[in-house]
Amino acid sequence: MEISSNGAETQPKFALPVDSEHKATEFRLFSAAAPHMRAFHLSWVSFFACFVSTFAAPPLLPIIRDNLNLTATDIGNAGIASVSGAVFARLAMGTACDLFGPRLASASLILLTAPVVFFTSIASSPVSFLLVRFFTGFSLATFVSTQFWMSSMFSAPVVGTANGVAGGWGNLGGGATQLIMPLVFGLIRDIGAVKFTAWRIAFFIPALFQTLSAFAVLLFGQDLPDGNYKRLQKSGDKQKDKFSRVFYHGITNYRGWILALTYGYCFGVELTIDNIIAEYFYDRFNLKLHTAGIIAASFGLANIISRPGGGILSDAMGKRFGMRGRLWTLWTVQTLGGVFCIILGQVNSLSASVAVMIIFSFFVQAACGLTFGVVPFVSRRSLGVISGMTGGGGNVGAVVTQLIFFKGSRYSKETGITLMGIMIICCSLPLFLIYFPQWGGMFCGPSSAKTATEEDYYMSEWSSNEKDKGLHEASLKFADNSRRERGRSVHSQTLPSNATPPADV
Amino acid sequence: MAARVLILSSILTFSCFAEICYGAVSFSSLERTLVVTASHRQGLLIAGEDKITVAWGLNQSFPAGTDSTYRTIKVQLCYAPISQVDRAWRKTEDHLSKDKTCQFKIVEKPYSNTNETLEWTIERDVPTATFFVRAYALDQHNNKVAYGQNTDTKKTTNLFDIQAITGRHASLDIASVCFSAFSVVSLIGFFFAEKRKGGKGQQ
Repeated sequence: MEISSNGAETQPKFALPVDSEHKATEFRLFSAAAPHMRAFHLSWVSFFACFVSTFAAPPLLPIIRDNLNLTATDIGNAGIASVSGAVFARLAMGTACDLFGPRLASASLILLTAPVVFFTSIASSPVSFLLVRFFTGFSLATFVSTQFWMSSMFSAPVVGTANGVAGGWGNLGGGATQLIMPLVFGLIRDIGAVKFTAWRIAFFIPALFQTLSAFAVLLFGQDLPDGNYKRLQKSGDKQKDKFSRVFYHGITNYRGWILALTYGYCFGVELTIDNIIAEYFYDRFNLKLHTAGIIAASFGLANIISRPGGGILSDAMGKRFGMRGRLWTLWTVQTLGGVFCIILGQVNSLSASVAVMIIFSFFVQAACGLTFGVVPFVSRRSLGVISGMTGGGGNVGAVVTQLIFFKGSRYSKETGITLMGIMIICCSLPLFLIYFPQWGGMFCGPSSAKTATEEDYYMSEWSSNEKDKGLHEASLKFADNSRRERGRSVHSQTLPSNATPPADV
Repeated sequence: MAARVLILSSILTFSCFAEICYGAVSFSSLERTLVVTASHRQGLLIAGEDKITVAWGLNQSFPAGTDSTYRTIKVQLCYAPISQVDRAWRKTEDHLSKDKTCQFKIVEKPYSNTNETLEWTIERDVPTATFFVRAYALDQHNNKVAYGQNTDTKKTTNLFDIQAITGRHASLDIASVCFSAFSVVSLIGFFFAEKRKGGKGQQ
């Protein structure tokens, strides 16, 4: 495969229409064509498997807590541990994607955490239980590789949709596991195993699923539309980047930090709810555990359309109103999520609670999808680090929220939920501070300075030395493709005079 | 019209009865008319192996006819207070339908006026905890009407400890280790294969 020069748009060898970086400009859900849609299916399935493994314990807790003699404190701590591992793992994964490519990075993580899921079968004490949940939670870092991979394969018009569907269908695992694990457990118990053995055998299912999905990623996936990192680096088509530079440009971009905070109050809230909602319904409305589990599952299952819906909405707003539209929609949807969260803590009847919870789930999960409609544009060189920071911020939000509102008995669960809603609204306000010189922010329009172009923004991540070596070319192509983020009211621009057209490689 | 009114009123009346039947029966309203004892070997009892001999009968100091409404006797294994600490799923509530103290059934059989005993092998799904034994007498509508237990009102005497099975088996342990090793080894294998393919140059 050769890299074409900057002019050619559509290559006959790709099944989907592509842009100058060979990223697909269309998203066809029912295709599995290599490399774009195949990457999509591999990434969401492997992420789904990791979610199933991470949240496989909660639905079986009534059995596990008796087998391992757990107290409520042990269970709470294990729940916090399960989401805290991924905080730094996501940041590390982001960097690994920038340096080694999403295929190797995600498959390595999945194959290295699969043993922990197998070892859950031999846990024998509260401490070992906490450890297995902690290390299994690392696998949630595959979220970052999923988003990175989608951002590498899909172009601006559909990147929000691709990110949203992949992320949403992966998150589905958290809901599906609440149905799968009790079923598998029941089957094994009915075959003849004793309860305390049946749950152990049941854990082999998510573990095997995880292992097989990693194999699929390694065998059938590729990092970029043009090939894998290693091969492209050997042929000189992709420059190997320096970790320190990639990391530096990621963490010094203030937009990454703001998105990390706000993501903590949509995705972090989603993780918190995954951990507490079954117990909430069980205790407050005296439901059977089975019923409470089904209601809990439905929260996670809403992800099948809510998060993709957020991504699609982001792309639609981006098409019409540009980046400003994406930001306004994100803020609006997330704030409404906070409002419904407050209402959820206040309603007293079961049917109203379930209804409000479902509406709340749509807004909160759509906000997650909308966030990752903005993330691909924050940085091109350090896309992985920004994705990792945002993703890690999500988990930090889950840890902090559970520690403040849902540990011990300071607040009743319903008060905790109301307070969480207020915190969502407050922590969404920093979105007003995000500003792109070339596209504007929520309150301000784009800067009229001559140096406020897409090229200037993305080139600012490269030093003149690096530009001389031609390391910045992918960013230049991306800058060109991202011009759509100005919105429909702006007509096509002529190329600014200070942008150097890249020489043919 | 009259038929409809009749149906409506009978539904209302029956639902009132139903409420009384399933009603707000509280533990504190039950009379302790049964005498229950539980004997076992010394030391920590092992689930699945050890046996408990439970004996129950009406306390003869109560007047005759106290047990006229008793139809069924239900003997249960119940958590002692120490095993309920920080475990809301084992909480004692006065409201019987919400009470979670007794979660394991030893036996449920028709009530007979004589003293009865039973030797019960501790089932393998009993967790590690401290327990006592309680018997409930149920009337014809399956409502609890009386009880007896082998410990005192504060649940401090005659408690016994049970050790649960681990649920682990050597075969499970071996399978876990083997599959885990397989995952890691195959990852290393893939890396080597990639290196070799990359070394062969471009496609």
